[in-house]
Amino acid sequence: MLYFWKNDKSITDIKLINLLFSFYAEPHKLKMNYLKLKSFPLFIVTLVLLGCEKDDICAESTPTTPRLIIRFYDNINQESTKTVTDVVAYGLNEDNTVVILNNQFVATTDSLILPLQTDKNSTRIVLHKDYSIDDNGTPDTNDDIVLGNPDVITISYEREDVYVSRACGYKTVFNNISFSLENDSDNWILGSEIAPNTNVTNETSAHVKIFH
Amino acid sequence: MLKYSISTIFVLLIGFSAVAQNDSIANDSIRYAQKYGLRLGGDLSKIAKTVIDDDYTGFEINADYRLSKNLFVAGEIGTEEKTTSNTYLNATAKGSYFKGGIDYNMYKNWLNMENMIYAGFRVGASTFSQTINSYTIYTIDQSWPQNTVTDGTKHSGLNAIWTELIFGLKAELINNVYIGFNVQLKGRITEKEPNNFENLFIPGFGRTYDSGRFGIGFGYNISYLVPIYKKTKKAPAEE
Repeated sequence: MLYFWKNDKSITDIKLINLLFSFYAEPHKLKMNYLKLKSFPLFIVTLVLLGCEKDDICAESTPTTPRLIIRFYDNINQESTKTVTDVVAYGLNEDNTVVILNNQFVATTDSLILPLQTDKNSTRIVLHKDYSIDDNGTPDTNDDIVLGNPDVITISYEREDVYVSRACGYKTVFNNISFSLENDSDNWILGSEIAPNTNVTNETSAHVKIFH
Repeated sequence: MLKYSISTIFVLLIGFSAVAQNDSIANDSIRYAQKYGLRLGGDLSKIAKTVIDDDYTGFEINADYRLSKNLFVAGEIGTEEKTTSNTYLNATAKGSYFKGGIDYNMYKNWLNMENMIYAGFRVGASTFSQTINSYTIYTIDQSWPQNTVTDGTKHSGLNAIWTELIFGLKAELINNVYIGFNVQLKGRITEKEPNNFENLFIPGFGRTYDSGRFGIGFGYNISYLVPIYKKTKKAPAEE
């Protein structure tokens, strides 16, 4: 019954279809247009490859929710940037509990890049200058004193959720941002500047200038 | 997944064909009567997926009408509902579609068999809605709490038009009952997309891909031929 295959050594990809329709066919009656059907397996391979397309993972290079970029400038010569010594940023909830921000370390720098809250219309952040810890000469942390000058800023904005893609979903952009400084007896931040109608939609340039 | 589905269906088809071989006819007459008529059927894969997959409901009726020895006009009509869900997005597409075109049989049957290996062309159209059930704002920096928005916005009145190349086979299982498998390669021509969202799934077309306008699909059909008249075909000359 299967011997007719041997007569068709040159044709391999058609065997399955032969098998499908021609169990009882006699070999001398087997007349098919092989060429037309040769593309069929190739077609299926193409489909399988298409099915494996990886657009279900949000690529890191995709611009998603932007972060706020702050640049520090000299209060006297307002055209030139000026570094802040040993500054660290951390978040502050409405009840004044501290939120540790990822990738924020004590550093002397002239710019900071900070995440904003995507579920509220404002974000409170502490910019802590000259941050250091006095451990009172003991290794335990109970009696440690945090030194330096913390200033609390509030960034207010209007949120807009913008569709990105199937894998990344939505991002939030922050429109019409405004800046305020909570007064304390010893503010190291002396002033700020935001261009009118500044929207945080990307991370390509600074959104806020802080003078000190 | 698709690969396994295809091989499973081939195995099933072979099984069914083997059953269908009981009526072997050693007929040496020169002419055979060929049945012409309307073949009506449904897509079994959509019904199976409806049962298995909680995020999917689908139903399709298909039909073809034989015009000449190898040419058929063919069409499908159906409805689909599909929820696309991942970590950041959950949306449901729902709607109905119609496809029409031709099938051309490339297979030379022996004797009085009327099986098909065919290639065809379709133009498809769908009207549907998309509901954004919820989404979570994508943030690289997750210091602050993640914001999940339960949206529920329904974008209605969406539509799409596409073309399909279709390749498949149909085998007569028992008298006038056919079982078939086909794969479809699709390309969108136009579509109406929702504002601040996109068409993740189009009923009749299937899921969309970020890379462009192409899509794929497959069907596993069972159908019944309502014979209307018969026409003879000449047997190929004996060698």
